[in-house]
Amino acid sequence: MEKISDVINRTKAYYCVDCGKCTSACPLSRFGDYSPDGLVERALLGLPIQPDLRVWSCLICNRCKEACTYGVEYPEFIRGIRSLASKEKETGVCAHGELFSLMKLFTFTHEREQERLKWVSEDLKVSEKGDILYFTGCLPYFDIVFRDLGVNMVEIARSTVRILNKLGISPVVMNNEVCCGHDLFWNGDVKTFKELAARNIQNIKDTGAKKVIFSCPEGYRTFKLDYPEFFDFDFEVVHISEFLSEQLEEGKLELRKIDEKVTYHDSCRLGRHLGIYDAPRKVIAEVTDDFVEIASNKENSLCCGTSGWTNCDGISEEIRRERLKEGIGTGAEIMVTACPKCLIHFKCHMSNRKGEYDIEIVPFEILVARAMELDGINEG
Amino acid sequence: MKDKSVLVIGGGVAGMQAAFDLAEAGIKLCLVERTPSIGGRMAQLDKTFPTNDCAICILAPKMMDCYRHENIEVLTLSEVIAIEGEIGSFKVKICEKPRFVDAEKCTGCGDCARVCPMGIRNKFDMDLRVRSGANVPFLQAVPLIYALDRDKCMRCGLCESVCGKDAIRYNQKPGIVERDVSAIIVAIGFDPLDPSGLTEYGYRRYDNVITALEFERLICAAGPTGGHVIRKDGKEIKRIAWIQCVGARDTRDNRPYCSSVCCMYATKEAILTKEHYPEAETFILYTDLRCFGKGFQEYVNRAEDDYEVKYIRGKPGEIREKENKNLEIFYSPASDKVETLDVDMVILSTALIPSEGVEKLAGILGTELDEYKFFKLKDPYNPTETTRAGIFVAGYCQAPRDIPECIAHGSAAASRAMEVVLGGSYDRSA
Repeated sequence: MEKISDVINRTKAYYCVDCGKCTSACPLSRFGDYSPDGLVERALLGLPIQPDLRVWSCLICNRCKEACTYGVEYPEFIRGIRSLASKEKETGVCAHGELFSLMKLFTFTHEREQERLKWVSEDLKVSEKGDILYFTGCLPYFDIVFRDLGVNMVEIARSTVRILNKLGISPVVMNNEVCCGHDLFWNGDVKTFKELAARNIQNIKDTGAKKVIFSCPEGYRTFKLDYPEFFDFDFEVVHISEFLSEQLEEGKLELRKIDEKVTYHDSCRLGRHLGIYDAPRKVIAEVTDDFVEIASNKENSLCCGTSGWTNCDGISEEIRRERLKEGIGTGAEIMVTACPKCLIHFKCHMSNRKGEYDIEIVPFEILVARAMELDGINEG
Repeated sequence: MKDKSVLVIGGGVAGMQAAFDLAEAGIKLCLVERTPSIGGRMAQLDKTFPTNDCAICILAPKMMDCYRHENIEVLTLSEVIAIEGEIGSFKVKICEKPRFVDAEKCTGCGDCARVCPMGIRNKFDMDLRVRSGANVPFLQAVPLIYALDRDKCMRCGLCESVCGKDAIRYNQKPGIVERDVSAIIVAIGFDPLDPSGLTEYGYRRYDNVITALEFERLICAAGPTGGHVIRKDGKEIKRIAWIQCVGARDTRDNRPYCSSVCCMYATKEAILTKEHYPEAETFILYTDLRCFGKGFQEYVNRAEDDYEVKYIRGKPGEIREKENKNLEIFYSPASDKVETLDVDMVILSTALIPSEGVEKLAGILGTELDEYKFFKLKDPYNPTETTRAGIFVAGYCQAPRDIPECIAHGSAAASRAMEVVLGGSYDRSA
């Protein structure tokens, strides 16, 4: 079993010189009482790390990792500490009640047939077997959980399929797809994560898919960086923005310009975790002539304030407020995000503060579908 | 037959020292410099630490000593393009780029520079001053021979018409010079890192975030602003902060090494700022203050006690530009809380990296570089010996070091080259 000293060695936490750069870059520290290097120093000094909110607050936004000049893998350090804590039956507080248990349910309800594909509307062409698979992720679940926010999550999935259909692709969608395990993994539940991963990989292999397309950056990160740590598979994984950017280069994607001024919010997973900054921008540049960068962008982008559904609190709301203020500061009418969770978090913040924010948050896929004149077909 | 001569590549402080030592020992040598003037990086500095001596005042006599020495042939605007042979008998091919001015005739009067209508950013001044198309890089340049910038030249003929010595040569061609030498000394120095890739500090994005070498030109009385530290909007500074280890001690881009001189030059720059502007507030944000050399700790103590330079432990995570173009620095000192510092100018103490073209030169010389592209030593007990016999290394291009250390290293390399020229045995390990 891994000990805290193993976590320190594995994440090179011993390189930390306590320079405070991570803390001064961290969105949590900016608005609350939190210090990544403070926590690392405690671990290095052998002081007990309380499995308190500090451990569960981290957004895994990678801002610290991006800032660190000494090579400390702080996000992985936090994940290691959380894994240790979860073995002691300590867990973070899920901000949305039963979501964690729902994720765990997938590992033992395999006899019960899911009705996962109810979102596939009549106008969509999907397949059971084929080269290209669309990993839908949690969108249909979020559609139900966050219906009160009016986020209409399945529309992201439908738009993705519509875009692919227009490109002549009838993607495989799986009724037996399960949760990718991102949230449980980052909350320290590696056991359940591995069970979910094994199931997803097997199910994808069964479809014969060679390429798996994601609209969710968290799922994409998990498949791209975390699954390979535990399992072998040879299908390629790609984010829809990368896929569309390639299609654009090959001249296969035809986009109509919209009139609005647009800015782009880099999500942590797609941005800092995976380094994908240019692909979505390239596509958006074809959709509008009026694109404007937000104040903190790319590797310095501000997080949406929560990840893994843990510990959403007043500080999270402050981060959101700051981010939305930055968005409005650009003068843009639309802020595009490629992450469904960022969308939920911004919409949640805005819905509780009606009229305060004059900006529309639009998912990347829906923006592209609009520009391909594919929106609004059979909506709802 | 052995050729009793040496080639020194690089006319900075290390290369000049090596050349001068050899020349004084009666050995003839060729000093090859890529830019129009010898002097190197030290010529760009205003003062030196820890004594606050005027850099060019110390350097200029050394430059003249070198240039005028009967045993030293100085080739400027020149680059080594090929070598053949081995220790004791190298054949070196050097490309001498055209100045478009007859070096024998030019008296350095500067009439050509005064009439030339072209405006070109002066690299020596870190692009902070516009110079004429006919130029010497700085007032004390050695040799004081003007050169035309023919890339941008419109060939209007004005310089030609005013030159009293008829020295303008628009059609000068590059020349190839060949020399036979017994040993070679490489002393090609460093370049400052361009920190625009470190987006958290906004260099090039923010008006008033500049590098330490740019500051060095600003604070220099002979510099583009006559020694006034002026922002882009014309305001003189009141609060100014240095950020240490910018791109140095940074694993993100494989630069984990310490550049060795920044803690001291930032201290120097802060002291100079206080001498120019006694009312100004100066802050140095550091990770660890490395004052390991003779007189260094005393220098820092003086900065704190006599000049009220404020040292703050903390590497900033972000800089934001405010509407008035002031800068808000986010840092976290020992308290683990995030604090902000509002200043009107930020100086980045950037990493110093091996000079541009070092890989090409190492290829020509057949010498190995280390993982950061500094010249690799054959073994640690021969601190000037490269991986190829007869080729020695001096100064910053071997490892980070300050000016006195570069000079000592230059002398050390010269003594080893002397051994080759005057002695019988070439290889110590044989």
